Amino acid sequence: MSALRENWRIALLIVIVIASGAAFLVPGVPPGTAGNATSPTNLQYGIQLDGGTSIQAPPVGVTAEGVTVPADGETALEQNVSSRLGIDEIDVRVDNGTETVEAFNRTVSQSDLRAALEAEGYQPETVRDGVTEFTRGEMVRVIEDKIRESALGSGTVSTVQTPGGQHFISITAPDRDRDELRSLIDERGVVRVYAVYPGGNDTHVSQQVLEQDEFSRIGAAQEDQNGNPVVPVTVRDSSAPGFQQSMVDAGFGRRATCTVEAEGRSIAETTEMANGTGQRCLVATLNGNVVFAGGVRQNLASSFSDGTFANDPNFQMSTRNMSEARELSVSLRAGRLPAPLNFEEARSTSLEPALAERFRVNSLITGIAAVIAVSLVVYARYGDPRVALPMIVTALSEVWILLGFVAFVQYPLNLSHIAGFVAVIGTGVDDLIIIADEILQQGQVATGRIFQNRFRKAFWVIGAAAATTIVAMSPLTVLGLGDLTGFAIVTIVGVLIGVLITRPAYGDILRNLVLDEEQE
Amino acid sequence: MVEFTVPEIDYSRYSNRQLAAVPLAVLAVALAVLVGSWAIAGSPVATGIDFNGGSELTVETQLSQEEVRSAFDTTPVAVQGVQAEADTYRVTFDSSDVSGLTDQAESADMTVLQSGSTPATFGADNQRWALIGLVIAFAGMSILAFALFRTFVPSIAIVISAFSDIVVPLAILSLLRIKLSLGTVAALLMLIGYSVDSDILLNNHILRRRGDFYESTYRAMETGVSMTVTSIVAMAVMAVMATYYDIDLMAQIGLVLVLGLSTDLMNTYMLNLSLLRWYKFEGVNR
Repeated sequence: MSALRENWRIALLIVIVIASGAAFLVPGVPPGTAGNATSPTNLQYGIQLDGGTSIQAPPVGVTAEGVTVPADGETALEQNVSSRLGIDEIDVRVDNGTETVEAFNRTVSQSDLRAALEAEGYQPETVRDGVTEFTRGEMVRVIEDKIRESALGSGTVSTVQTPGGQHFISITAPDRDRDELRSLIDERGVVRVYAVYPGGNDTHVSQQVLEQDEFSRIGAAQEDQNGNPVVPVTVRDSSAPGFQQSMVDAGFGRRATCTVEAEGRSIAETTEMANGTGQRCLVATLNGNVVFAGGVRQNLASSFSDGTFANDPNFQMSTRNMSEARELSVSLRAGRLPAPLNFEEARSTSLEPALAERFRVNSLITGIAAVIAVSLVVYARYGDPRVALPMIVTALSEVWILLGFVAFVQYPLNLSHIAGFVAVIGTGVDDLIIIADEILQQGQVATGRIFQNRFRKAFWVIGAAAATTIVAMSPLTVLGLGDLTGFAIVTIVGVLIGVLITRPAYGDILRNLVLDEEQE
Repeated sequence: MVEFTVPEIDYSRYSNRQLAAVPLAVLAVALAVLVGSWAIAGSPVATGIDFNGGSELTVETQLSQEEVRSAFDTTPVAVQGVQAEADTYRVTFDSSDVSGLTDQAESADMTVLQSGSTPATFGADNQRWALIGLVIAFAGMSILAFALFRTFVPSIAIVISAFSDIVVPLAILSLLRIKLSLGTVAALLMLIGYSVDSDILLNNHILRRRGDFYESTYRAMETGVSMTVTSIVAMAVMAVMATYYDIDLMAQIGLVLVLGLSTDLMNTYMLNLSLLRWYKFEGVNR
């Protein structure tokens, strides 16, 4: 029992090494890794070691602050400001809660927005570049949904703030190249539903009957009984009566057939084509391009005319093929990206999985080579494997625990982290040399007090050195200098693990060695 | 097996002035190099994409280096062959239009393995914050040094030698025309932490322990030199292997640390030591 009490530091090290091993190797130990059977470890790899794309781009927009708008005046002001600025109404957002007006269009400058608001009789306190926190949050949510709903679904989205105060949306998608990711998020995914019908005088008119926000539920792309690709949708209860009335007014109270092949065209062209065939069509557009143009079946038409649709507001949109159905479903579900991203000001990295695989193997080899080199130097220095071997094992256990830590928190590893691991081995061995030299100096260690004394002296230096390393690296953890944040975190955590756990344990190992020797 | 022992130097043969002269001269030369390069090139050290903005592609192709260079509308800043892989080149550009460059590469029969871009505004931000980070780290380390030893000379010795440990590698990078990247900045910060270790050890042995000055010095050197040499070996291996494998970030961190730690050997055991000897034998009595 007293042996355990004297060697509690070694015992603690062993327990932590085992726990780290579990976090590192046993699937399911870190939360959320249970189903991941493809990789032999629980490590998460970042873009550089796994391939994929990461993009950091600022949202496009200018924001006016301190604009006091009554709650019921929001929509009117959105309409007026957008028409003054000559942009689409969805590119203006007025919020009376935060007293902000945002314009999401590259063509609008700060002074344009100020002038438009002043012309409407409002005096904004400040007008700045960028968008509101609410909009950024919406963008993150929408992009996350888009990535999740699309065929290859994994990725992380977050907002990052530079120390200079600029906000970026950061997107990391391991399974995509740059073009795929860009085209996925580039499209703002604006869905609108129009009724196209004869408007008299031998012309057809198009009238918007639904917009994105008015859907309450979007089904997955699927095949109906006849094997046609469809997307079942449900209209919000609050919008259903209005939609129903608009449909009846447009003449969809009766069955309508639409054979217009308008996919990919604009709504104006489609109206023209419907005029040519003399048909009524229900048309859905995605980003202004028609993705669905179809008629209304008898049962749906009669539910419009007898008013039962509003009680059960479901219908199906059919598309030409499954992939269009999927895209329509994704766009409807993910919603609209509130503001576009400015890719000209974006920082991006994209790596082929093959190259990432090569980096993974090569950086591992580099790390192992560094460990072997350090081991040889330590052995040459002490000549005694009983001192050198525990030293190397202790230094390796530091890396092992660090691996367990990053596996447990599921931190995605990049090249900078591997460099951090090598740095940790470097500082680790340095400190172990200090401990060894202090404890092994001339004079016997027979009494516990002398050992404690020497150990404390060694520890003063180690603690001071660790403190300087942490102080030196800590600016990197907050400065947002890309890869370096990870390097700094790994180094700091490594130093802490070393000072608190592994290096004290090495002191105990040496004491046992020296005491054994003295008793012989 | 080679045996590695730290040689005992007879410091009593040299005066403090002689000991301090060498590292101070090296520091002066290094500062002159940086100032000169500033005057001539407009910046003390050449800065890379991370700080200037631009794009970088890694391509695999049958084309020759010259053909790769002429395949783009925008002339590349550099086309560099990758050592470990045949037919692989790293191409750097000033422009940050990476999508356009990737398209051009692909239409010229190159396989783009890696592409990255940093817009110029991002680069300017990086430059500013990297500098601020270095200043904060250095100031923090200095405050800590003074807090640990609470006497002026030993503390300032640590600060001067850490300063020189950063400036000398920077001057060498400047002479070698190696472009500064985020990796080099990380290495410089790491260096602040690393280089102080042996200084603290030396100060601690000389100031806080009983015993003869030279005996304490030798004991601190035995430990300190072993530490620094071990770190240099680890970083040298990393630098060489990572250069061969074309892992830029690790190669840069390794190179800067090898340079800095070597400078640190000189600074600790010549500059710092002479200041401490002066303090111990003359300064304290004043």
